[in-house]
Amino acid sequence: MDARFYDGLTAQSHAAQAELDGDLLRIQADGREFVWRLKDVEVVVEADQARVSNRRERDARLVLPVGEWTPLAGDRLTEKVRARRQREWWLIGGLTAAAAGVALFVTVGVPALSGPIARATPVSMEERMGDNINGQMSHLFPACENVAGQRVLAQLGDRIAAGADTPFDIRVRAVDAPMVNALAMPGGRILITGDLIREAETPDELSAVIAHEIAHVEKRHVMQAVWRNFGIGMLLDLVVGGGTGAGQQAVILAGQASELSYSRSAEAEADARGQALLRADGLSSEGMAPFFERLAGKAGSSELDQAAEFMATHPDSARRARAARAAAQPGRSALSPEEWRLVKTACAAEESGNPVDRLKRRLGLGDDAPVADQRIEVRPH
Amino acid sequence: MTDVIAESAPEEVGEALTFSTTLEPSRFLGLSLKNGLLNVITLTLYRFWGKTEVRHRVWKGVRLNGEAFEYTGRGVELFIGFLLAAVVLGVPFLAVVFAVQFGYYWMSLLLFPMYIALPWLWGFGVFTAFRYMASRTTWRGIRFRLKGSAVNYGWLFLGVGLLDVITLGWFRPAGERMLAERIWDEIRFGDRRIRFRMGRSQREGIYGPFAIGWVGTVVGYFVVMFFFMALVMASGAFASSADGPVAEPGIMFTLGLYGVLLVLSPLVLLIWAPYQAALLRSIAAGVSVDNATFRLDVHALSLWWLTVSNLFLLLITLGFLMPWAQARTAQYLIRRLKSDGTARLNLAQQTERGPGTGEGLADAFGFSAI
Repeated sequence: MDARFYDGLTAQSHAAQAELDGDLLRIQADGREFVWRLKDVEVVVEADQARVSNRRERDARLVLPVGEWTPLAGDRLTEKVRARRQREWWLIGGLTAAAAGVALFVTVGVPALSGPIARATPVSMEERMGDNINGQMSHLFPACENVAGQRVLAQLGDRIAAGADTPFDIRVRAVDAPMVNALAMPGGRILITGDLIREAETPDELSAVIAHEIAHVEKRHVMQAVWRNFGIGMLLDLVVGGGTGAGQQAVILAGQASELSYSRSAEAEADARGQALLRADGLSSEGMAPFFERLAGKAGSSELDQAAEFMATHPDSARRARAARAAAQPGRSALSPEEWRLVKTACAAEESGNPVDRLKRRLGLGDDAPVADQRIEVRPH
Repeated sequence: MTDVIAESAPEEVGEALTFSTTLEPSRFLGLSLKNGLLNVITLTLYRFWGKTEVRHRVWKGVRLNGEAFEYTGRGVELFIGFLLAAVVLGVPFLAVVFAVQFGYYWMSLLLFPMYIALPWLWGFGVFTAFRYMASRTTWRGIRFRLKGSAVNYGWLFLGVGLLDVITLGWFRPAGERMLAERIWDEIRFGDRRIRFRMGRSQREGIYGPFAIGWVGTVVGYFVVMFFFMALVMASGAFASSADGPVAEPGIMFTLGLYGVLLVLSPLVLLIWAPYQAALLRSIAAGVSVDNATFRLDVHALSLWWLTVSNLFLLLITLGFLMPWAQARTAQYLIRRLKSDGTARLNLAQQTERGPGTGEGLADAFGFSAI
């Protein structure tokens, strides 16, 4: 027999003989006998070699040609192979159950908890968070320079917010940013991009967007999104670790998809409440539907990129436009022609014609643009 | 257990070291599919067990003097390591995030120490991962062991990273050797010491190949930017229009950009392949045990082809073929690993069992040697 035995104490090789004696494997090596119970034995076969180890003598090894081991062991170890497979099935079942639990908590538990937690978040805490984010955003998206236009916009925000039940001081301002969008920050600040102001065709459209954002503040949707993103992000990061494999990315994408469905319901709620705020002040709520319809129309056209940013954060515009049209009521215009002219010129008229500048702006490559924090991301609304 | 400084006398006769492999990468295809699917349905929690199985199979496919290596680690050890790291990393991280987001503005200063701590922690994690792997690797029933300090390795890792940035990458080759020395010089086979001789490692020049990669990258960057801007100008992709909305980069343009990057990546890998090959040769040349030294006959073109083909297959299978790619890499390296001289490995005495859990920090940073 061409077998070698290693006693697990030194790397010295010992010529060995092995034989089965009932349920025992007897190994003779250099005049010593080692007796292993078959039920403690593990075998690993690779190419022409079988390596036998003993669960009770963890470091010792018997190595012999497969051709000698197979007739020796016969089918005596079949039961062990079956037991190992069974353990593996239990492991897979347990891990799948744990994964299902995580998935359930991410899709149901975290969103359900985010509302109560957001409402329980102290106002001062949310305001401080808003201040911090505002500090970062001011570098990223500087305020537009036309003071008169900014003043009209802020007054419009104050007027609509007067009917809102919120402890926060609503502060609306126009910013220079490479996207058609509006966003509410924690603590009551609302940013309207210059591109959105240019895109709006009537004061009613602009006031509808502002009312929508004020409704987000009133309902504390931003804080809900913060807690939801925080909970889902932490949980999924925890589960997938730092890996960048396809499996890990799939899990993170699934988490983002789940977040999208919750933002849809928040958007619908903000639409309805926004229209109610406009009505309460006697303003027309007819501007919301055309604005959404125009962006939804663009989404299918070559102008995708202009609308993409707004569509990504305000999903399902076509359906929402239909709902907004159904609920729309006429009223007075939010701004006089002179006020509207001032607002329309709040930000620089058009972008630079220089393609390099345009590309840099489009890609967000400002000279001193800070890196956004990716952990707690405040989704624009 | 005391280390035996294995400086054998010339008259001592040891055994010549011959590496061989029985690895057949095609036999990893089934395992790749199994691991991939189980990773999906368990939200990647299976990865600890999947990785362990891959190591079991790779290790047993590598032989030294006819005797196969063995990986004795268990998936549950990696899983527990991951849970521990989640607490060690997660709690301080949460505290900092809360302070920065909800606290006063000046609390964002807390981020600075974190930026220093993270690379250090990364190095710490890499070292402890190697320590765990060494302790779970056996040959002839004798365990390997990585001594040394993970704390010090973390500082070295941080320092190399800083100097790398300051010198625009030119410290990297020297730094890589220093990091390799800190690992290889601390490895033991049982109680037998494996050495890393910096002088021998330095005889294999790596700065020439590094210069090819560095200069090639800089020149390539400007060439690509020149053509890119020329393309933008020629196509008018971002030109203003007087009577309509301004055109923006469309989806096709973005996809085209990624396509160009995909085409360029083999070229980037090609200009860095001489350096990668030289680095591998240099590190192997520095390692010795007793009177045995090592050579890794790795050359740029074959290494490039291995990397590019692995990358391509990983891309088109969304990472599913990772075990197959790892087996290919191991087979490639072992076939080219040679040794001169002899070593008295049979004198090695068993060493301690090593850490109970492993690699949690490395997992958190996405680091895995295999």
